[in-house]
Amino acid sequence: MVTRADIENMYEKAKTAVVKATNLQQLDQVRVEYLGKKGKITSVLKTLGQLTPEERKEIGQAANKIRQNLESDITDRQEELSREEVAKRLAAESVDISLPGRERVYGHRHLISQVIKEITDIFIGLGYKVAEGPEVELDYYNFKALNTPADHPARSLQDTFYIRKAGVHPADDDIVLRTHTSPVQIRVMKSQEPPVYIIAPGRAFRRDVPDPTHSPMFHQVEGLAVDKGITFGDLKGTLEEFSRQMFGRKSQVRVVAREAFEAGIAEDGPQIRLRPHFFPFTEPSAEVDVRCFACGGVGCRICGSGWLEILGAGMVDPNVLIEVGYNPEEVSGFAFGMGVERIAMLLYGVPDIRMFFENDTRFAEQF
Amino acid sequence: MLVSINWLKDYIDFDLSPEELADKLNLTGTAVESVKHLGQDLGNVWVGIILDIKPHPNADKLSLATVRIDRPETLEIVCGAKNIKVGDKVPVATVGAHLPNGMDIKPAKIRGVTSYGMLCSRAELRMGADHSGIYILPDDVEVGVPLAQALSLDDTIIELEITPNRPDCLSMLGIAREVGAIEDRKLHKPSVDLTECFEKTSNVASIKIIDPDLCPRYSARIIRKVKIGPSPTWMQQRLEKAGMRPINNIVDITNYVMLETGQPLHAFDFNTLHGGKIVVRRARNGEHLETLDGVVRELDESMLVIADADRPVALAGIMGGEDTEVSDKTADILLESAYFEPSSIMRTSRSLGLLSEASTRFEKGTDPNGTIYAADRAAAFMAEFADGSVDKGVIDVYPKVIEPKKVPLRADRVNAILGTDLSLDGIVNILNRLELTAEVISNTTEMWVLTPTFRPDLEREIDLIEEIARIYGYNNIKSTLPKSGDKQGGLNLRQKLAESVKDRLVGAGLSEVLTYSFMDPNDVDKLQVPQGDPLCWFVRLLNPLSEDLSVLRTTLLANLIKVLKYNVNREQYDVQIFEVGHTFWHESGKDMPDEETMLGIAMTGAWKSDKWYDKARSIDFFDLKGAVESVLDELSIANWSVRQFTHPALHPGRSAELLIDDESIGYFGELHPNVQSDFDIPRTYVAELSFNRLIDNAKMQKEFSEIPKYPSIILDIAVLVDDPISNDQVLGVIEAAGKPLLKSARLFDLYRGKGVPEGKKSMAYSMVFRTPDRTLTDEEAFNAREKVVGRLGKELGAEIRE
Repeated sequence: MVTRADIENMYEKAKTAVVKATNLQQLDQVRVEYLGKKGKITSVLKTLGQLTPEERKEIGQAANKIRQNLESDITDRQEELSREEVAKRLAAESVDISLPGRERVYGHRHLISQVIKEITDIFIGLGYKVAEGPEVELDYYNFKALNTPADHPARSLQDTFYIRKAGVHPADDDIVLRTHTSPVQIRVMKSQEPPVYIIAPGRAFRRDVPDPTHSPMFHQVEGLAVDKGITFGDLKGTLEEFSRQMFGRKSQVRVVAREAFEAGIAEDGPQIRLRPHFFPFTEPSAEVDVRCFACGGVGCRICGSGWLEILGAGMVDPNVLIEVGYNPEEVSGFAFGMGVERIAMLLYGVPDIRMFFENDTRFAEQF
Repeated sequence: MLVSINWLKDYIDFDLSPEELADKLNLTGTAVESVKHLGQDLGNVWVGIILDIKPHPNADKLSLATVRIDRPETLEIVCGAKNIKVGDKVPVATVGAHLPNGMDIKPAKIRGVTSYGMLCSRAELRMGADHSGIYILPDDVEVGVPLAQALSLDDTIIELEITPNRPDCLSMLGIAREVGAIEDRKLHKPSVDLTECFEKTSNVASIKIIDPDLCPRYSARIIRKVKIGPSPTWMQQRLEKAGMRPINNIVDITNYVMLETGQPLHAFDFNTLHGGKIVVRRARNGEHLETLDGVVRELDESMLVIADADRPVALAGIMGGEDTEVSDKTADILLESAYFEPSSIMRTSRSLGLLSEASTRFEKGTDPNGTIYAADRAAAFMAEFADGSVDKGVIDVYPKVIEPKKVPLRADRVNAILGTDLSLDGIVNILNRLELTAEVISNTTEMWVLTPTFRPDLEREIDLIEEIARIYGYNNIKSTLPKSGDKQGGLNLRQKLAESVKDRLVGAGLSEVLTYSFMDPNDVDKLQVPQGDPLCWFVRLLNPLSEDLSVLRTTLLANLIKVLKYNVNREQYDVQIFEVGHTFWHESGKDMPDEETMLGIAMTGAWKSDKWYDKARSIDFFDLKGAVESVLDELSIANWSVRQFTHPALHPGRSAELLIDDESIGYFGELHPNVQSDFDIPRTYVAELSFNRLIDNAKMQKEFSEIPKYPSIILDIAVLVDDPISNDQVLGVIEAAGKPLLKSARLFDLYRGKGVPEGKKSMAYSMVFRTPDRTLTDEEAFNAREKVVGRLGKELGAEIRE
């Protein structure tokens, strides 16, 4: 006959077995041994019917209690073992996090494309569209319609690549490699009525022998605004806003300049400076200096004077407006142009313009 | 233009430092290249006079000079040079001087005698290379003054860049006028005090202009019995500061007056002019003239010459002739002061490749009404500094007087263009400062502005507006933004797509490059392109920089291949690049060249490098095709296909043409081994596709399609087929036979080798079966698969591999 002591003894043994179980399998064996259908405690409970009601009550209660205790012991142990097992697995699975990640191969946009995009985005924000045109251009669009005098030095065989030239005197259908992206302005104005707000990024060509600062091919971004009541003040304001975003305080990327401004090193003055200049297709014309983004305008190794010459600009010459069929008494406009390579060289410290067209992968990967 | 500040002050008063002046000039349109302070490092260098020379007591080669500067006591200076004598005036560096050559002067004991300074050579002062002895100064310098002052080196030179529209600024008076306008000060134009002799100029010389279109005015004076010699020191110094070499008094005077007034002058040796005649005419074809630089020039009838009775004696406005040059023996001078048609001078100067101080002024436009003043000024100097006597009167041939222009100007227009609020008085004031006279039409804000002939650039209202803006100050104009609010910026759809394709290729591992729009015409031979192929329809430059940049590129490939080569030569072996750019061709019979935007791709080397988790793999055809497919995917182009393609530059078994519907878009493949060896590059894969046509075919309208509600059944199939059978063929049969339950099929294994008979390959496909409206049964899927197996066997002779 099972006594209460037997049951308690059984429990003690079971408890020891639970503690000794070192994995979930062993623990399950313990559970089957004591609590399974044929388990020891189950068996005791099955024999309760043979006992007197008093014994049944006493033994039954004791056995049930022990069963409950054991069940809870097993559950506890189970959780403990699970935790241990997870911990073990985690320990075994740990990696050297300092190994390099698996490479996702990607390339790079050319630095010139990146700078053009940066410039373009700013002008898009100011309400400009992007216009394009051919690189092989008629004299008419490249020179004549832009009010370039017949004997202007830029028209010489020294300075401009010609594909067709009728004679000493310029002819409208002489063919050149465009020397600027300004002919796009003429093409746009001839194809639509004002208002016009465009920029024209693209390749331009001048007959320069390659050296660290010259290239027979380079990129320009030209801009043109023609509308009722456009003023020289609008030109200034537009370039000022562009310069702030591109080079100055509003620039997200030009950290040096921002720091220079914030530290109060820079004179808190205007962002740009205009110097009168001469271009055939604009009047009044100006060369535009931008406050040096490296030093904020106090003068440094890059700028010398605190100013960097970046743009040429001016009010569209009335002759140009007349040429495209606009009435200069009704509309006025401004135009500007900038060399992308020069800006990229200044912004990124590129020492030699030829590097842009050598396309060394070690150059491309830096940007 | 080099401007001496001291000289400038002869004509205009201003209270600005050279730097301030430079700044103001810069901001009003006269660009300043540099500001140079002369004599800056000549502190403690004085003019001294040698009172005594004794031998050094302890050294044979040295002597001991006693020198006086401005103090009563004298200095003892040890000296090694032998070219000094008592009474010579010499530069003396006293204790504390820091010489331009870096030497510091301290009291020094030399062989037992203390020397309190140094007598200087030109080299030590960096005033030339002459090391041979002490710099003996001219006799007329004052003892005791700083050397810089004695040599007029207490001066600043501002170098100006004069734009071609401002020929008036190629003179000291022109610059002074600018400064006057900026500072609102009056110009002092030197008055000419000329004493003429009795003889009338017109009695001895005659002048005839045959071609007044090229020479609207010719003025001349005769100066007799000149004594050729050096010009005064001050004049020589000024010429040197302006970058000109002093020659003799006559030539120096013509140059000086040119620098002063902007009017080029030429002095002929009058007695060498045949017949005492000046004839201004076009040259005759085949005529010759030996110019002052000693070159014999062949002339033609486009060129204007100055001739005498018999022959050309000068290239008008450009350079004089050797035969009539002023020499030591010259006694009588014919002084030319003329106005030539600018474009004629420019053309002749260009065609002869001959530039001079005169031609650079004439070709931009001198003042036709300034000839007499300059001639008189020079004649007066020749009387004063060459003892000449000036004949009475000027011969002045000026058939059609060039009058100042009258240009209309509206004050309202000024403000409308500039965005300013200038008053009528303010505008008139600025004009007056520029020596422009304004006649305001009463009761209006409109005026007539008289623009002097020295300002040929001022012809239109807008020219005057620029002048007003310049002097008012560009930087004083308020910044605004265009008022129009209804403008919308942005890229158009094609531009957006172009950007997204480039970004996609970057995401696919390729880097963008930019190469020249030029190419080397010989590269098409390396590409094995036959004569007559469109790639040989070159657009040729008339004036290329060199043969290898002499045509526009007909293909992107040659330049891209060269980029690979450039990198491989620099041990960068794994290069994957693309370029989007124009190609150009000129079809015979067509008037204009054509250009088109192309996408070029080039790849060589390995796809990634060896890694701890993976080995490098050489790039192959399918890396290239993958890049092409990524572009098609970016543009959502589905209706594309490839077909076998032969191109002389490509490997015949590894090249393909890309078609969209039936239109050819371009080709891609491995470079032919011969091409690789001609370019000397490793195995390379290239593509060239029409970027425009890709963009044309972009499918931008996308539409939602139902996401499957019911599960799919995926069944695999592996078949043995003959080697020449293509994936497209197998897939075609599978897709046709599997309909309608088959939703997609994908090749997941391709195998040749052990277990597969020679000439065969094993291809394994994964097929997805599904119905849209219910759950598919296994039986249905298996039946569909059986149908596929049957058709593959029947149509392609494929054996099923279980």
